[in-house]
Amino acid sequence: MTAIAHKVKITYCAECGYEQQTLDLAKALMLEFGSRLSAIEVIPWDGGTFDVSVDGQLIHSMTRDGGFGDTTAIKDAVRARLSA
Amino acid sequence: MTIDRARFDQGLTYDAYKAQMTRNLDRLEENERRVDLSKEDLAAFRALPRPVRVVVLAEDWCGDVIANLPVLGRLAKDSGKLDVRIFLRDQNDDIMQRYLNKGQFKSIPVFVFLDEDFRELGHWIERPASVTEVRAKHRKAIFAAHPEFGSPDAPVDQLSEGVRLQLQGELAKMREETTKFANAEVVRELREIATRVAA
Repeated sequence: MTAIAHKVKITYCAECGYEQQTLDLAKALMLEFGSRLSAIEVIPWDGGTFDVSVDGQLIHSMTRDGGFGDTTAIKDAVRARLSA
Repeated sequence: MTIDRARFDQGLTYDAYKAQMTRNLDRLEENERRVDLSKEDLAAFRALPRPVRVVVLAEDWCGDVIANLPVLGRLAKDSGKLDVRIFLRDQNDDIMQRYLNKGQFKSIPVFVFLDEDFRELGHWIERPASVTEVRAKHRKAIFAAHPEFGSPDAPVDQLSEGVRLQLQGELAKMREETTKFANAEVVRELREIATRVAA
């Protein structure tokens, strides 16, 4: 049986000083899911962006949802995707 | 709290701020060189009846600070009429809380203009609304001209890396092309505030 590759992407505004929040979230996901994620991609962008997606599905957006998102809620959304 | 002489003096001078920057100093200095002040604008600042104090909130990672602080820096240097003191946003929340953008966002830069008795003449936050508007129009046009970029509202992580780089290049070019307009708008707005100082 072939494992399904699940990829998380974090797009953050590199002109807004969001590096720490990005690293904190990436670390939380690493510790929680380990090799169950095939990759965590960090994308520097601009315009106040802080978006998190799993397998192309947006699970948190600063523009849409406000703020950096609750780490537990983001982890739950990733877990749901992994077990889908 | 109000900003008095003692609090004002705790700020960094423009040169001291530059000396402690850990990143983007080259971009800031390049933008400084590119600020083109008109004779009329410069004359208006030079004609201020007395020096105006300017409290600034900034951080060196912020794109709007790197773009707009040099405009203030050049106005101060070339006119000799602005006494600038810069405070790091994340270490001076007492000042930041007084100048939140729309009452909730810690947008920077913030420029607070004060007269000789530390009475506020006015303040300025982030960038001119006209600049945001013009750039939004240009951004829309870029997406219209490049269907491969998809929707301007869609997350960029849905684009392939190659397309994302292409989009990044187009947006950088657009910002470059609108810089002259943006700088002129910053000068216009700062001049309007600074010249409120009583004769």
